[in-house]
Amino acid sequence: MALTKKTKRSLWCWLALSPIICVIIFPFAVMFFTAVKPRDEVFTFPPTWLPSRFEWQNYIDMWHATKFGDALFNSLYVSFSATIITLIVAIPAAYALARYHFAAKSSYRLFLLVTQMLSPIVLVVGLFRLVVWLGLIDSVNSLVLIYAGFNIAFAIWMLQNYFQTIPKDLEESSWMEGASFLQGLIKVFLPMAIPAIAVTSMFTFINSWNEFVLALTVLRTEENYTLPIQVYSLVGGRYTVEWHHVMAAALVASLPAAILFSWLQKKLVTGLSSGAVK
Amino acid sequence: MSKKLPLYLILPSLLLALFVISYPLYELINLSLSDVNRFGKIRGFIGIENFTYIFEDPLFIDAALRTVLWTVAVVGGTILFSVPIAVILNTDFHGRGIARTILMLPWAISLPMTAIVWRWSLNGEFGMLNATLMNLGFIETPIVWLAESALAFPVQIGLGILVSIPFTITIFLGGLSSIPQDLYEAAKMDGANIWQQFKRITYPLLRPFINMAIVLNVIYVFNSFPIIWVLTQGGPNNETDILVTYLYKQAFNFGHIGEASAVSLVMFGVLLVFTIFYARMVMKNEK
Repeated sequence: MALTKKTKRSLWCWLALSPIICVIIFPFAVMFFTAVKPRDEVFTFPPTWLPSRFEWQNYIDMWHATKFGDALFNSLYVSFSATIITLIVAIPAAYALARYHFAAKSSYRLFLLVTQMLSPIVLVVGLFRLVVWLGLIDSVNSLVLIYAGFNIAFAIWMLQNYFQTIPKDLEESSWMEGASFLQGLIKVFLPMAIPAIAVTSMFTFINSWNEFVLALTVLRTEENYTLPIQVYSLVGGRYTVEWHHVMAAALVASLPAAILFSWLQKKLVTGLSSGAVK
Repeated sequence: MSKKLPLYLILPSLLLALFVISYPLYELINLSLSDVNRFGKIRGFIGIENFTYIFEDPLFIDAALRTVLWTVAVVGGTILFSVPIAVILNTDFHGRGIARTILMLPWAISLPMTAIVWRWSLNGEFGMLNATLMNLGFIETPIVWLAESALAFPVQIGLGILVSIPFTITIFLGGLSSIPQDLYEAAKMDGANIWQQFKRITYPLLRPFINMAIVLNVIYVFNSFPIIWVLTQGGPNNETDILVTYLYKQAFNFGHIGEASAVSLVMFGVLLVFTIFYARMVMKNEK
């Protein structure tokens, strides 16, 4: 009896969710089916969902036609470098906020809160001037620096929330036993903080991977484009758009972040909700 | 242990954040009060002329009003859809894990990519949205979705809602899981129906999370650039411009650097007000 009740409830739940699920799946289906259509079938009227044959060759053509490899390399370089810089400055700061009471603590947290609320678009003219001043126009390194700067607040906040749950006694007892300050941190504290650091770095990575406005503003030549800009450049301002290539590129470009994301999603729910009520 | 140690620990992060945020802010203030040519060369101090220019520009006023509409509609719609979805995802049913994963999917794809895929799906002639609606018999002739703002802007709002739902239900699921199950058991014993349970238990206890979701979403949506830029670039005739696209065009299409800086500072002021609301909420919860 209990089982049939749950089955009935399940049917209602799925029925209620079905409209939104259709809307969510729709763009993925469009991406997938357009990317495997032969070119002439992309532009037939009326359009159909299924291609007459699956043209997997599109992916290989797309790779060459869109110089996908260059953009992929740039995106990887920018996201990795920004993540590493963010971690190097955020870990000590988060440790300080989690472990010590000091005069400037609450004002520093307020400062972080304000920086977290700012998005690059609001400061875009000033950021452009900064990049010009540094002589880094059209250089992916300018993006590394700015992405790191904008990710600091979130990274510190996330790390600090985790660090507070790690008991203090462990590193303290290692200091009592004669380990130096740094030894205690690296040998005792850091290994326990690895899950938190992993989650934080993946977030920073995904944020940098997906950023659009600054890359659009700073990068000028195609060799330096990151993936979002490269894919956008295939669509914006062109007379004919090779949509089967664009969809193939969008699908491949979205995969790494999507895989990381679905893996992280559970951790995210607990992380965000504990942050939201704290 | 030295008293200065925590300060040394936060110093690198402070320096980097200050560098990336304060220098641009200083530049913006400077530019907004100057006569600047289209190559960014400052020709002299002009006081608040850039600010009076934008406040007299009907396109700026339109964009500002549209930003209010955009923010209210997207955030309102997001909350309205997310509460029931989160309540459903919080009940125990077969395949709940799969349903949760599907609902999170829009979050996994970046906004520019989502917008590009929808731009193709909405294509008047070859787009799959028209094809699907025609197959299902909802429409007879294809609709040109993005050619007129009266249609394009609501579509953009819908897309804004769709991409904001995952983050919002994540917050709500966290909130719902903190509500003790015995409250519902007790309510059932007293004969409360599902609606009464929602009104008397779920809604009041979820309220702080709803407030948090509203403030955070207002900040994100107010700043959101890719959906409108990729779908219409604020067109046709600037009729789907919001402040961020107006700002971007002033700066990088028309070379009105001083005016664009003034827009930036106005937006910065608005964001600061939102941030104060958010900070208050966080502090209140911490007590």
